[in-house]
Amino acid sequence: MNRVARITITLFLLLSGVFVHAQVDSLAEALQKYQSGDLPAARSLVDDVVNSPRHGTNPEAWLLRGFVYKDIYKDAGVGAEADVLRDEAIGSLFTCVSLDNVGTYTENAKQAYEFLARTYFNDAARALNDLEAENAANLFDKYRSAVLRMDPKAPVLAREIEFKNALGTVYTKQFIKDRNQLDRFQKAVDTYMDVLALDPENYGANYNLATLYFNRGVFNIRAITADDEIPTILEVQVAAKEFFQAALPYMLKAHDLNPKRRETLMGLEGIYYSLQEQADADRFRRLFEELPPDGFED
Amino acid sequence: MAKRCPGITVRFMTVGRIIRIILVLPFLVCATVPQQQRDADKDTTAILQANYVYNIAKLVEWKEGEMRNGNFIIGVIGGNNLYQELIKQYSTRTIGKQPIEVRKLPNSPDIERCHILFVSRDNLALLSDIYKRLANKPTMVVTEYAGALDDGAVINFVKVDNLLKYELSMANAHKHGLVVGSTLKNLAQRVEE
Repeated sequence: MNRVARITITLFLLLSGVFVHAQVDSLAEALQKYQSGDLPAARSLVDDVVNSPRHGTNPEAWLLRGFVYKDIYKDAGVGAEADVLRDEAIGSLFTCVSLDNVGTYTENAKQAYEFLARTYFNDAARALNDLEAENAANLFDKYRSAVLRMDPKAPVLAREIEFKNALGTVYTKQFIKDRNQLDRFQKAVDTYMDVLALDPENYGANYNLATLYFNRGVFNIRAITADDEIPTILEVQVAAKEFFQAALPYMLKAHDLNPKRRETLMGLEGIYYSLQEQADADRFRRLFEELPPDGFED
Repeated sequence: MAKRCPGITVRFMTVGRIIRIILVLPFLVCATVPQQQRDADKDTTAILQANYVYNIAKLVEWKEGEMRNGNFIIGVIGGNNLYQELIKQYSTRTIGKQPIEVRKLPNSPDIERCHILFVSRDNLALLSDIYKRLANKPTMVVTEYAGALDDGAVINFVKVDNLLKYELSMANAHKHGLVVGSTLKNLAQRVEE
């Protein structure tokens, strides 16, 4: 039995008690169209139904609308139209739950609602993978809003931190790809700062932010050419120094959180070295070299 | 009445995997910090020293006629990354009409003829012999340790306020037959007359 058929049967069972005595009702007609797989007709009818005085506050009507739009969304592929369909579906399902004072349809509506909310998150993750940072951020905001709208106490913090750390790396990659896009650098900084505002002890955000600043300083120095004269060397160093100094507290924090991580020891060695603080650079290099080889840790 | 909603089985698992892959990337892509041997591309001190050496060469005149012909030779003892940086960025340049030639020298006080000799801080033990053998020869010794000008270096790299600068000995320059331009002198962190 295919999925649509099962949903149809479910809905039929769900709604048949109401419609057995109202065969000519527009809601019943919309359900029939839905059952027959005629989703465009079902959509048209159910839009009218929820706007009618009779069914405007009927949770069953909103449930049906949510399912109709959800199924159309699932067939619509990817794009702006699909986004609108999903938004309509999730809005209808929320309205159903809001109106369902008895709780008859709430569980069913919530399951569909959670499914659609997850698709926001999944799409956000795919957008990250495609380096579409803004799209990913918008989709994640939709996910977060949808989840909190249904349950204001829903535990979204861990997922938000995970997502924003990944978003920061996407901005970083965009900046590395084109160093002239300074807004990408600033967005990466802001995103990691967002994570640290939520969780100051987050190792990844501290480490990534430090690395971002450090690499910017290195890049400035790396950009020195044979045509640059001594005053320019000094100016470049002053500018790079600010980035190295900005990197330091975050790398130190990452080291405090995870003292035996090789990358933080290497990171601190590199930052101090670039700040011309040889003694501290040597200290962290020794700590790095004293670590047992991979696989031989305590 | 059926309560379940069949077909709703999308999970976060795939998403989590995607995000974990992304999250690991910066450690690999962005980590420009050293391994055992510092990567020359990211050795900021070597990059700066190479540019200083090139600019210093442009701002000094070698009085001895023999030094004004042929290649302009920069010798490097130690300082692997500085050597690589000089090769990469400056070996196709000239000082006046003299093409730059960068030579990696063995860790030995037996120095061939060169205009500039850089000795890294890892090779301090060689320096007393080097100073003796190069006394009165037209070679500018460039170093990176405290007290180097007193020992005989002409240029010494110093670290001041988290910046790499240089100090200069006019007396040592004179001993080696070098005429130091006023620009080089004015931009030095310290000048020993």
